[in-house]
Amino acid sequence: MLRKLLKYEIKATSRIFLPMYALLIVFALLNKFFMAVNSELLRIPRAIAATVFVFIIIGLCVVTLVVTIQRFNKSLLTDEGYLSFTLPVRIHSHIDSKMLVTLMWTILSFLVSMVSIFIMSIDKTTIWSLHRFVNELMRVLNKIGFNGYVLVLESILFVIIGILSVTLEIYAAITVGNMSSKHKLLAGVGAYLGFGVIQQIIMSIIMSTCEKSISQYFDSMIRAGELAQVQLAQTVLFGLIAYMVIMGVVFYFFTEWMLRKKLNLE
Amino acid sequence: MENILECQNLVKFYPKCLALNSVNLTVPKGKIVGLLGPNGSGKSTLIKLANDLIQPTSGKILIAGMEPGIETKKIVSYLPERTYLNDWMTVNDMIGFFSDFYQDFNKGKAYDMLARLGVNPSLRLKTMSKGTKEKVQLILVMSREAQLYLLDEPIGGVDPAARDYILDTIIGNYNPEATVIISTHLIADVEKILDEVIFINQGNIVLVSTVDDIRENENKSVDALFREVFKC
Repeated sequence: MLRKLLKYEIKATSRIFLPMYALLIVFALLNKFFMAVNSELLRIPRAIAATVFVFIIIGLCVVTLVVTIQRFNKSLLTDEGYLSFTLPVRIHSHIDSKMLVTLMWTILSFLVSMVSIFIMSIDKTTIWSLHRFVNELMRVLNKIGFNGYVLVLESILFVIIGILSVTLEIYAAITVGNMSSKHKLLAGVGAYLGFGVIQQIIMSIIMSTCEKSISQYFDSMIRAGELAQVQLAQTVLFGLIAYMVIMGVVFYFFTEWMLRKKLNLE
Repeated sequence: MENILECQNLVKFYPKCLALNSVNLTVPKGKIVGLLGPNGSGKSTLIKLANDLIQPTSGKILIAGMEPGIETKKIVSYLPERTYLNDWMTVNDMIGFFSDFYQDFNKGKAYDMLARLGVNPSLRLKTMSKGTKEKVQLILVMSREAQLYLLDEPIGGVDPAARDYILDTIIGNYNPEATVIISTHLIADVEKILDEVIFINQGNIVLVSTVDDIRENENKSVDALFREVFKC
């Protein structure tokens, strides 16, 4: 059933994202053209095209956030919820499908933005410097060896889990906000801020109890060589990933429980 | 005979209001039942509980012997009072959606009924009037070969001509093993198709009877009895 939910979730969201991606690529090509022609006559259209391009990229970030909120809210907590929650599907599958599709669009939006910038700026010098950058990166990784690859893997994991964890925090806040009968939006924003405060408190408790051992660890690592610093980065990343996993899991099960037990659609 | 729906001391408290007060009720298979009561009597609450949309405060509600969940959702076809259709989809998309998620969905039946009611399936739902949307929604719900149909105010928004066709569809199209529960206050319109009625008021079941018994014993129509019982 998750596959079918994913199919419809992608269908519902692609009609927003795909045109934006197309627009971004078109404006990248347009900018490329203006830069290639480089005529005084085209100065104003060139400036406009460049500005629009930047706005589309900013728009893409905003749209990703808005769609994340709106898809969850509309299909589960408004009238459409009557259909969603009477499908023979488990509630966590609804959360899974929405969160995975958000992850997909966030990563795709990033990649498409990169590609569009690449299209715009591609010429001999950029290719050459990109080539050099990749070579240098590979050289460093090879020098560090196995730990270097672990670090790369951890960074990728960090981004993915970070996106999922933030998405789940937003879902939990929307669900809490929905419990308010009048000011759902305000209550949702309040819940989100509340979650932030709770996390700050937890973080500061952890930090203050382990402060000594953490700073000792950092000191010893910084004084050691390059390899130990890679290890330090690994440990820090691992700690952050573990923290986000825990928060994500908490928000996930909290949202699922609220939807299952506390929801009352209007 | 086995019961399709059973309530045991079912209680539902909302903040500041008791919606269902220890309801005991059994509905057998193969009947068309009217769930009748004034506004705010607990009709929708009962139907929402049967659909797992809200949780009982205490007591139990069973569908074919099971507590509401995935297995009951497979055999219950529910028409809420709200229109829940995705605006951006076409009717064709919605039919695809229903047949993807419900194994008992009969596409042929759906296209048949759409043609009879003159709804163009390639139209987007956004472009449709409220009444047409309600028709589409009812067609989708009735095109399932379910064991229990829960229809919350199914004919409120459609014109009288379509109303008759819809009621004919309800009696004509469902399998004799299935039960249809219709919640409404348009009693005169639905009376002719009902086998049984349940009167509900302020969270209490006031009366459970067959329509024939009401006609014979009270010598009244259901509509007249309703007006008498719920006289303001």
